[in-house]
Amino acid sequence: MAHGPAATALAAADWDPYIAREGNFFDALFRRLRPECDALIAQYEESRSALLPMAHLFQEHEGYLSQNAIVAIAFLLGLTPAVVESTVSFYTLFFRKPVGKYMLSVCRNLSCIINGAEEIMTYFRDSLGIGHLETTADGVFSYEEAECLAACDQAPCMQVNLEFVYKLTKPDIDAMLAAMRAGTYAVAPLVQTAPPERTWKVAQDTGRKSAGGRGVTDPNNAGGIGDKSGVIMLDRLMADPAFAARSRERVLHEKNLGPTNGDAGH
Amino acid sequence: MYREQGGYAQLERAFKELTPKDVADICMGSNLRGRGGAGFPTGRKWSFLPNNGHPRYLVCNCDEAEPGTFKDHMLLEQTPHAIIEGILIGAYAVGCHHAFIYIRGEFKAGFAIFRAAVEAARAAGYVGKNLFGTGFDLELTVHRGAGAYICGEETGLLNSLEGKRGEPRLKPPFPAVKGLYGEPTVVNNVETLAYLPHILRNGAEWFAKVGPERSPGYKVVSISGHVKNPGNYEVPLGTTIRQLIWDCAGGLRDGRTLLGVQPGGGSSACLFEEHLDLPYDFESISKAGSMLGSGAMVVFDDTTNFVKAAHALIRFYAHESCGQCTPCREGGNWLEKTLVRILEGRGLHSDVDMLVSASHQLTGLNLCPLGDSIEPFLASVVKRFEAQFRAYIREPKAAPVAV
Repeated sequence: MAHGPAATALAAADWDPYIAREGNFFDALFRRLRPECDALIAQYEESRSALLPMAHLFQEHEGYLSQNAIVAIAFLLGLTPAVVESTVSFYTLFFRKPVGKYMLSVCRNLSCIINGAEEIMTYFRDSLGIGHLETTADGVFSYEEAECLAACDQAPCMQVNLEFVYKLTKPDIDAMLAAMRAGTYAVAPLVQTAPPERTWKVAQDTGRKSAGGRGVTDPNNAGGIGDKSGVIMLDRLMADPAFAARSRERVLHEKNLGPTNGDAGH
Repeated sequence: MYREQGGYAQLERAFKELTPKDVADICMGSNLRGRGGAGFPTGRKWSFLPNNGHPRYLVCNCDEAEPGTFKDHMLLEQTPHAIIEGILIGAYAVGCHHAFIYIRGEFKAGFAIFRAAVEAARAAGYVGKNLFGTGFDLELTVHRGAGAYICGEETGLLNSLEGKRGEPRLKPPFPAVKGLYGEPTVVNNVETLAYLPHILRNGAEWFAKVGPERSPGYKVVSISGHVKNPGNYEVPLGTTIRQLIWDCAGGLRDGRTLLGVQPGGGSSACLFEEHLDLPYDFESISKAGSMLGSGAMVVFDDTTNFVKAAHALIRFYAHESCGQCTPCREGGNWLEKTLVRILEGRGLHSDVDMLVSASHQLTGLNLCPLGDSIEPFLASVVKRFEAQFRAYIREPKAAPVAV
């Protein structure tokens, strides 16, 4: 078994990523999960294969993948935290910021869309008062519109904390949300060790695996050579009273059209 | 329960009576073609492994995320032992001592069910050291992904299994030569491997005789969309599309007419009424300009808004592009933006023309098939239902220019 060099050289007691922190929640968690992590690493010929399983493990106990967990995984695998972070940021199931107690993932792909998923999504947005990739202010619900969940025969479908809910109807949703608010819903809530923010997206992260299409900064050429739709769109925005007192550049920036919407991290 | 129905008997037979080469020959003789999407003959895939004394790996691909496909999800939750037996038989045939199964991250329940099944198999002596007293050691590791369609592509899957970003690798070298940890590796779909026990029990002939000669055997078809009884149906290949829709899935909802069928998952081009009597097999479907893919059939009746349907699929590919290749990363995103623009009433007539022309600039220019999968459905429905797309456009049609 080729363990990471750090994993064999240091004992659990040495866990001290940057500073010693008496009574810190994560340090206690790490000591508790250490044997499980070692067992995961032992499953593979190369220790790095245990990166995803360990990230799942830490997220299960912390509710999200904290910076502490990323450093801990790097420590166990003999990698740098940057390498671990770049890897986990590829995968949509890892939340790098705290989320609500119930992660509602509604399918927005083909079979669900042609069977009324759009109405279901609108109903969720209206009932919860939040949008895609957002968490309610009380920290109970997180909502996202997910890609095909492989239950197309049961469309429209969704997952609650990765447990399937089939053939959604509006009364089902009302009952589901009421049960979740009352704490009586059949699926166990996610662990919550920190209060969630409005979104669990990391700044500048589009929630996509790549940042395609964001490098082009000239709205006059949004769809290719000779495309004037960006100009048409901007003119329409400038005519909107909401943007009355603002410059063209400011509007571009606010509508994520301008060059200031940087691609840092990609 | 599985054992009472004859489960694991073929595994035992393979280990005790057959050599690995016998098993591989049976598989080759059955002409079993991969059920994951590409349809590559499984026996030939195995034969590509070089004999260089390196350790070999077998990886079972259960990262099912193709829009419209839900067969692996069902197999995983309902017949985990058939998958385990298939993996073990496959591992024996290729001489692999450490097999893996990569399960999609969203299948949390399926993952738990499968892991429990592996423990049960281990307790029964089917996984572990010195199997059946033959001295053959075999370990099976259950690995869970974390939400990335691209990890269903075999080299993306291997990178993900190695704990990296699931970005596909440049091929060649193919996984058969340099796969997991740089060693020879076979990646097979769940359904492919689950057929192995049945092929061993009934013989290669039994399987090869079913259906058309070049793509024989049975196939699980996932039918969804506007049909009365959507679900998974196991049929001999070569069954016509009409039979699948009306005899298996109960036909369309009452009073509706059919506009189109997507025969092989989100990556395949749409087929129409005139294709209904095509036999459902790898060759016939690809001759008609589409592909059988993973066997996911989505049926569209006359209520379908193809602009929204195409947008849902394009958004999916734009979301799931790993970002390595420019045509796929940029192309998918711009097609999505253009479709959003059309849907919001800001589209131009030239946008509709662009949807067709842009699609020719995507295919064949990428490391993996994801980029090639973006355009077929869009291009086929824009050509067929152009009026639906034009109806969204408020820009007045330009007057013809006098020359």
